[in-house]
Amino acid sequence: MTAQMLYPLEQDEISRFSSLPDTRFGKTADPALPQHAQHLSRDELRARLERMSRGGRADDQARPVALSTGFAGLDALLPGGGWPVGAITELMPEAQGIGELSLLMPSLAQLSRAGRYLAWIAPPCLPYPPALARHGLALERLLLVQARDARTVLWAAEQALRCPAIGAVLAWPAALDDRRVRRLQLAAETGGSCGLIYRPPAAAQQPSPAALRLRLRALDGGLHVEIHKARGGRTHALVVHPAAALCA
Amino acid sequence: MLWLCILLPRFALEAAPGGALETLALWALQWSSQVTHRAASDDARCIAATHGAALWLEIGASRQLFGDHAALRARIAGELAPLGYSFRLGIAPTPQGATVLARASLDTVALTHAQLQQQLGPLPLTLLSLPDEPLAALHGVGLRHIGELLSLPAAAIARRFGPGTSLYLERLRGAAREPQQCVRAPARFASRCKFSGAITDTTALLFPLQRLLAGLQGYLRSLDRAVQRYTLCLEHHRAAATRLTIGLARPGREAAQFLALARERLAATTLAAPVHGLGVEAHELLHPLVLQGDLFSHAARQAEQLQHSLDRLTARLGHAAVQTLDSAADHRPERAWRLDAVRLATPAAPPDTASSPSRPCWLLPEPQRIDEPCELLAGPERIESGWWDGADVARDYYLARGEHGAQLWVFHDLRGGGWHVHGIWA
Repeated sequence: MTAQMLYPLEQDEISRFSSLPDTRFGKTADPALPQHAQHLSRDELRARLERMSRGGRADDQARPVALSTGFAGLDALLPGGGWPVGAITELMPEAQGIGELSLLMPSLAQLSRAGRYLAWIAPPCLPYPPALARHGLALERLLLVQARDARTVLWAAEQALRCPAIGAVLAWPAALDDRRVRRLQLAAETGGSCGLIYRPPAAAQQPSPAALRLRLRALDGGLHVEIHKARGGRTHALVVHPAAALCA
Repeated sequence: MLWLCILLPRFALEAAPGGALETLALWALQWSSQVTHRAASDDARCIAATHGAALWLEIGASRQLFGDHAALRARIAGELAPLGYSFRLGIAPTPQGATVLARASLDTVALTHAQLQQQLGPLPLTLLSLPDEPLAALHGVGLRHIGELLSLPAAAIARRFGPGTSLYLERLRGAAREPQQCVRAPARFASRCKFSGAITDTTALLFPLQRLLAGLQGYLRSLDRAVQRYTLCLEHHRAAATRLTIGLARPGREAAQFLALARERLAATTLAAPVHGLGVEAHELLHPLVLQGDLFSHAARQAEQLQHSLDRLTARLGHAAVQTLDSAADHRPERAWRLDAVRLATPAAPPDTASSPSRPCWLLPEPQRIDEPCELLAGPERIESGWWDGADVARDYYLARGEHGAQLWVFHDLRGGGWHVHGIWA
């Protein structure tokens, strides 16, 4: 039974479930309850309710499938209209410093101001707080996780992706194969967060189960975004101009 | 009074302080304030050697809290089974009666003295907690069932089979009260178990640990307290014990949570020597902050989930590896930030975006010496500061173009000369 199948339940039905007597304890089931609910023990119901509250509450039936990137042109090209939620996006910048982080800033700012946490797993340099604040990120929602080796980075990313309180997980794993990406993908589905994984440009040659794969390079003062793979969408390319470098 | 007897196999006999039976008694305190495992007489102690150890809980006062006696029994059985104990349960108005019913493995429950008498009637004498000698004597006179024995006058039994037998029967049917030494929750929790062999693999510690942590959970529930840290004690043969302190972001008392953290911590621990014993200690008892079972409070739920994730991360990576960041009021870029401990559920402060000058998203850990950049895109921004603390800087910062169109934050050092890259405009 998946969480989706429970969404159509009304709130009052659910609160009735939680007070359902356990039939194992020798009590009879409440005749007022829907037929299918009577076959479940209290523990099963509790597990289902736990799953629901993990995957989303009953009232957020329409968990967004995507998070707006903040760039209208890019949103228009992405299936769902933004960064896929509950899935892995791979970002493959040609070099460091071309706007690969600024590309995420509008969406990260939006998440952090909505109270979601942002986990940064093993970033290559210090995410500089004065710059992040200028981009509108709520700094107290930022979790900086340092991990020693490649295995620990992936483990930490998986833990963070599973946590529903964390809206986005940015990770810089040293090495990755499609089996590992699939594990991360499953973790993201569980937690309902955006997994944003930075990989070297050579990774584009390998297949990957990630929902979205982008190749990034600098072009004419902007950022050239090539949609290398988009689940349920088409490959495409465009240039965006993240609010990046202007020195005051 | 209604007693529930938990009958355990012989291994649990070691009733030493902090031993297996003691741990289980602390675990049982969550169900009843009257828990006892001490046999009232020496006779009963030697009976235990053949019949196994027992734990008695007075559930007459607490059964309403948990529904009824059947619900309570089901809950206790449901929590004992995953701990790997083989056990039998019996419920009767006297502790000795509950023990006999547990031994008989009947699914029936005696709620009154009359029901107890009725249920004991057809049971064989061998189920009684009597030493071999009087038992053989009873057999010798042709008695086979408990009912036959109970119908005899007490004085005659005392005369023919000894006062011990008579007293035991009085206690069995509730005519005499049994002195009870109740287990009291100590001020600090300490529980340990010894292994018959040496354990060299940390994953093998998880099963015995599960039992100890169940004891801790029951102990904390009975006191309505929580802990924010607890200590694992890995005892070695000829070396000092390895002590691992495991911290939680917020006070908690769920054994499953404790175990998940210990699992991560043990996975990251290399054993210095084989482990011969395992202990769990918790000293600082706190008031629990999170109410369990609040399924629909979204914010509380979220905070709890985050706490669990943070606990797992810090258990494996250490506390210093999971932090948050903040800006600091200093003009020197390398001092304009600080690491901070993660705070849960703080209201999101509106970020101040306007006041600060533009800065790069990445800051290098140390400025890196470079050749003079060929293309400066913007600047300079002069930063002169810090003459008062000896770490003064005088620099002109520029935006420079690097390879592949990367945008670098570089400065020209006005004191020492030379160019450095300090940040990356990602």
